Amino acid sequence: MRRPDAKVVLLGGASVGKTSLLRRYTERRFPDSVSTVGGAFYLKPWRSLHLSLWDTAGREQFHGLGSMYCRGAAAVILTYDVTHPQSLVELEDRFLGLTDSASKDCLFAIVGNKVDLMEQGREGNGGPHACPRSREVLREDAVALYKKILRYRMLDEKDMPPAEQMCFETSAKTGYNVDLLFETVFDMVVPMVLQHKAEEPVETVDITSQKPPKHTRSGCCT
Amino acid sequence: MEAGGDAAAPAPGDAQDLEDTQDLEGTQFPSEETGDGGVLSGPLDPGDGELEETGPKAEDEPPSRLSPLPQPEVPSSTCEHWNSAASDSSPIHGPESGCGGQGGDPSDEDWRNQRKHVFVLSEAGKPIYSRYGSVEALSATMGVMTALVSFVQTAGDNIRAIYAEDHKLVFLQQGPLLLVAMSRTPQSAAQLRGELLAVHAQIVSTLTRASVARIFAHKQNYDLRRLLAGSERTLDRLLDNVERDPGALLLGAVRCVPLARPLRDALGTLLRRCTAPGLALSVLAVGGRLITAAQERNVLAECRLDPADLQLLLDWVGAPAFAAGEAWAPVCLPRFNPDGFFYAYVARLDSMPVCLLLLGTHREAFHAMAACRRLVEDGMRSLGALRALGEAANFSSSQEASAPAYSVQAVGAPGLRHFLYKPLDIPDHHRQLPQFTSPELEAPYNREEERQRLSDLYHRLHARLHSTSRPLRLIYHVAEKETLLAWVTSKFELYTCLSPLVTKAGAILVVTKLLRWVKKEEDRLFIRCPPKYSTPPASSADQAPHNGLFTGL
Repeated sequence: MRRPDAKVVLLGGASVGKTSLLRRYTERRFPDSVSTVGGAFYLKPWRSLHLSLWDTAGREQFHGLGSMYCRGAAAVILTYDVTHPQSLVELEDRFLGLTDSASKDCLFAIVGNKVDLMEQGREGNGGPHACPRSREVLREDAVALYKKILRYRMLDEKDMPPAEQMCFETSAKTGYNVDLLFETVFDMVVPMVLQHKAEEPVETVDITSQKPPKHTRSGCCT
Repeated sequence: MEAGGDAAAPAPGDAQDLEDTQDLEGTQFPSEETGDGGVLSGPLDPGDGELEETGPKAEDEPPSRLSPLPQPEVPSSTCEHWNSAASDSSPIHGPESGCGGQGGDPSDEDWRNQRKHVFVLSEAGKPIYSRYGSVEALSATMGVMTALVSFVQTAGDNIRAIYAEDHKLVFLQQGPLLLVAMSRTPQSAAQLRGELLAVHAQIVSTLTRASVARIFAHKQNYDLRRLLAGSERTLDRLLDNVERDPGALLLGAVRCVPLARPLRDALGTLLRRCTAPGLALSVLAVGGRLITAAQERNVLAECRLDPADLQLLLDWVGAPAFAAGEAWAPVCLPRFNPDGFFYAYVARLDSMPVCLLLLGTHREAFHAMAACRRLVEDGMRSLGALRALGEAANFSSSQEASAPAYSVQAVGAPGLRHFLYKPLDIPDHHRQLPQFTSPELEAPYNREEERQRLSDLYHRLHARLHSTSRPLRLIYHVAEKETLLAWVTSKFELYTCLSPLVTKAGAILVVTKLLRWVKKEEDRLFIRCPPKYSTPPASSADQAPHNGLFTGL
């Protein structure tokens, strides 16, 4: 297996739709949701690279592993539920701290999922079982969070992609904006990886050519 | 008992509680180290078995209600008390709609008609889990249970069970958690207690006992549902399995996939060869049944893996969450060390339902495990094992999702409908891997209520065989729609279900035929020689007395 070139992590509270977004993107469907256990790893070939995608559990019980999933991440996709204001608050309270272990120029995308529910609320035609809900989280709130994150990470807004570009509203159910989200993020990760490779050729040690000699301990007769 | 006592936003410290839990990383023997979080590790907490004195306050229970309290283990008429208490509570809950289609309101007819309820609550009486209905609606009912427990506790005693006509209430206190089963199935109190222990083990496996204890020591009225969110389905599945397919829990054994011995041995060798740093246990399973397992001797052998832990893992990897991608998650083995986490790599192989579980001690070893998986997968491909497994295990014909099975017809004993067989004469060094075998449930046991009836009968016979006061060795039981024969010897424990028209002599004949068949097939039905990583190559494996998985003392 090729070692993945860069890591992209999906973070966010329980039941905001992280797994559903990913499955919509990879399988083009919206299956019954299951509660993720720990984290699930997917390998995604993208252009010339292999990206690793971590779909993490939003449940609090798995919080302890969060920083491990984020270690060295090139991009973090923070997901909330547009009908659930608390899920946006949680991004800052619970998940932002986990990204401390991410790469220092890590990209952030903020994604409000489940916009289909919101639209149903607007049309007043939510089908027999879907309860129409009103828009609870404004896009401006997500933009404000994005700027806050850049300050938290001590990044200059000028060096990072603008908030307008990195705040998405999606629907895993209808597929709205899902491809746009992943492809935008992946495309931004590619130049980062290439740049890293160009900048730090010396730090890449080819371990296959530098096998430590195995017989060093043969002098000791045990 | 106020329900809204805890803040909506999680306190930062809560997640920390989990993080602090002792890692097994670098621990050879779990009893040696104390985790950096100051966690009690290794041997049981001294205080574990005891009841804590900081009892719950049942302040909203008027003392008069407690007056008709029964003595523990004494049949009594508490049932009416129970029911009245339950219906009293109904006005409190308002328009709460239950989850899972069940009303959840104790006054709800459907809810009351369930044969068995299982509840988990905190010592402070806070609801954590209920098999049926929404726990919110049950706070008052759970308050009554807490009151019962604490009332008996103040007398310096422990409530274990209440028998009331056809109902049994079984109580089990585990640290700060109280588990209650209320059943009108024929299960014995001991069997119900076993079920509660399995529920507790399931909770511990996701949170560890240490963090549960720490959370409640920190905040007595903590709402543990926040941390168990998403695990309720696992508990539901566990409890449903008891009714549908009771073998594993009843016999305390795991079920193996029937497989030709050379292939199973080759897979065992393969698992043993594919190692990674910190890898402690490799398991190949399909549909909740074991294909083979191999363990690292240094990590596990000294403490031995308990079959209950292995069964827990087999159930766990069957969760729908593991159907896609490569998962990496912490899991605790409650019997091995209830206070520490292992890290588990779980993946389906080659888009087959065959599942590989690699359990290790390193938190960050995902990529090493993933590489190890590829070795296993390549090895299996070159063995032709995946195709062979597909054929041997006959995936498609089974009703259960991808559960490999065989038909009772294979035995060639007319009149035999179903059986559970657990060998007891396994070689000494395999004693730590109890196994059992049983055929697929076929007509007439393909309907839910028929399965339940059979499960009830098996439970009844099991309770009679293992009765503490008057154990039996052989039972011939003519039931309404079937005849059963249960038999325990030094060599096996056997439960057979036969056609209702069979005669006693005919039944003996069938059982003789079955025993002969099992003997002939035992290499295929059971793992005769479980592999281990650090043993020398397989040629002399049979002779090596210490070669077995789960070596006993």
